[in-house]
Amino acid sequence: MGLALWLAAALFIAMAGVLTAGVASATEAPPITQMAIGQIKKVTGQAAILRSGERRPANVGDMLFVKDIIETGSDGGIGITFIDNTVFSAGPSSQIAIDEFLFDSNDFRGAMLAKMRQGTLAVVSGDIARSSPGAMKITTPTAQLGVRGTTFAVQVYGDR
Amino acid sequence: MLLLTGCPRQALFVVLPNAEGGGVGAITVEDGKTVTTLDQPYATAESRAGSTAPSEETQGNISVIFRSAIAARPILPHHFRLYFILGSDKLTPESQAAYRAVFDDVKQRPVYEIEVIGFTDTLGDLPSNEALSLARAAAIRDALVRDGLDRQAISIAGRGKRDLLVPTADQTPELRNRRVEITVR
Repeated sequence: MGLALWLAAALFIAMAGVLTAGVASATEAPPITQMAIGQIKKVTGQAAILRSGERRPANVGDMLFVKDIIETGSDGGIGITFIDNTVFSAGPSSQIAIDEFLFDSNDFRGAMLAKMRQGTLAVVSGDIARSSPGAMKITTPTAQLGVRGTTFAVQVYGDR
Repeated sequence: MLLLTGCPRQALFVVLPNAEGGGVGAITVEDGKTVTTLDQPYATAESRAGSTAPSEETQGNISVIFRSAIAARPILPHHFRLYFILGSDKLTPESQAAYRAVFDDVKQRPVYEIEVIGFTDTLGDLPSNEALSLARAAAIRDALVRDGLDRQAISIAGRGKRDLLVPTADQTPELRNRRVEITVR
């Protein structure tokens, strides 16, 4: 009985140790790819975020992560601010993938690559585009856009 | 709109008037063969199947094509500077009034993120200025939280005397360097 109790206690302590270790590692600085890179600030009609193959409805206040794909329905619109103060807003039937996003808030430098497959996108560029010419790029099926600043728009239309 | 089934993908690029009221920006469009630079408001280029050329699009057409995308634009990020009394984390009287403008700006936004970075002038040693700059940022955060804003949405940092707004010699009191820089988005 005493032994069983001791074993149970030992097991409990061991498990607590594992749990604590798990909690500790979860509160350490996450890798850059796991950090939120933006926030959804405005949604009209249908809008969704495609993340790891899963489509979830976009809600005001949701965070955005690198590799997310922004989608809007035929009546949809979405407005996003990024941590470098770049602002994206997309009109209906749009699909835009955030393929790369790096930003150092100490020196305001970084790099961003967005891939636009269809729809309309209005942009007000932020610190990344300001840090160096060519740091921010948007690709479309036919050409690549390099951003020097600040306010511009892109439409991708026609069939695949 | 312009969904032409059966056509290859095409793209339209346009420079818009600066939404922040500053100078006109510029974009480049590269298709592997040519580089087209657009640097005037409402200048446009079209690309299709590996060929890009500047195009003529009326301001009216541009407004129609991008109406929904521009309507979806959230309130743009805004920047503020507040100044402090020498050696203190207390705002100057002028900046106490300016603080209200920061608060009012935040209140317009359905959701918000706030970044507060503290700075000092060059008076005093490095460690005490590091601490003071962080204390200034924390004081502003605490005021915003007292006024009802979400603590989770506010990040703070201190840069000590490493990042002067106005370059001075060491050990120089300078009001414009005793500041926090606030970004609201």
